[in-house]
Amino acid sequence: MPGRRAAERIRKAIALVNSVADDAGDEEITPTEIAEAIRDCLELSEVDDAPNVRKYLGEALDAVSDGMPADFVAMTLYAALGALQEGGQLN
Amino acid sequence: MKSAEGRGRTLDEAVDAALIELKESRRNVDIKVITEGSEETVVEVTVIDQAAASAESAAPANGKAEIARGLVEGLLKHMGVRAQVTVRTGTDPITLDVSGRDLGALIGWRGETLRALQSVTNVMVGRHLAEGERIIVDVERYRQRREHTVREIAMRAARQVKMTGDAITLDAMQPFERRAIHLALEGDPDVTSGSIGEEPERRVVVGPRKPAG
Repeated sequence: MPGRRAAERIRKAIALVNSVADDAGDEEITPTEIAEAIRDCLELSEVDDAPNVRKYLGEALDAVSDGMPADFVAMTLYAALGALQEGGQLN
Repeated sequence: MKSAEGRGRTLDEAVDAALIELKESRRNVDIKVITEGSEETVVEVTVIDQAAASAESAAPANGKAEIARGLVEGLLKHMGVRAQVTVRTGTDPITLDVSGRDLGALIGWRGETLRALQSVTNVMVGRHLAEGERIIVDVERYRQRREHTVREIAMRAARQVKMTGDAITLDAMQPFERRAIHLALEGDPDVTSGSIGEEPERRVVVGPRKPAG
């Protein structure tokens, strides 16, 4: 289904960021890993099928580069996921 | 005695409106229906549990918690969600409880919307918090119930590991759930817990603790 892969990849990036924010205490997540997960999302052409998804993902990537708090990155990624869903790509 | 008038299309809506104004739960109030019509119902809601109410008002207000509570309350109002936001007492980190009717949408699929709400809350309150300090948001005690459930799963797994000596891999869980399991088992001298896999499929493994040395 269109958009499904993008949603899965965004959710994976969110899970990584939440893992840092919630501190499960059982893994070390580096900003590089989070940035890679976001770049994986940006590689998919389907992120262009809904408005603002690429924009929010780009902002999330910038936030990681700028060392913004994990919650800020997570919030921006949730915005991307929401934009994807609002774009009618997912039920 | 604290009381408030509530109006709504139904009795429940009218009571909820008054409860939100009073910041009280249903078990602490007396409800008197003033008018009940097809278009509007008016109720008068009076707080009856004065001991609990006065104890709450006598407690020193936690500035950060109150700021966070006010922000979440405002956010939910803008979202059109009718809910009460209260600060859970005696918890560290600060925990906000959101309660109301039909808040399933605020929890979302596997707690996704709730987690997003918590992220937004922490971004909004961030400048009032010390480094590393966080606000936990719970809706209808969903998070608390999940933590309780996974702790029970951990205890069952630990019992099985002690009986068989074999490690058990649990289902994929969110970070706060894995954390609850690690904390539940950290004091057990016979079992140990670790995690394998990558997010969001990361799983806790409960296994026998190897003897030291």
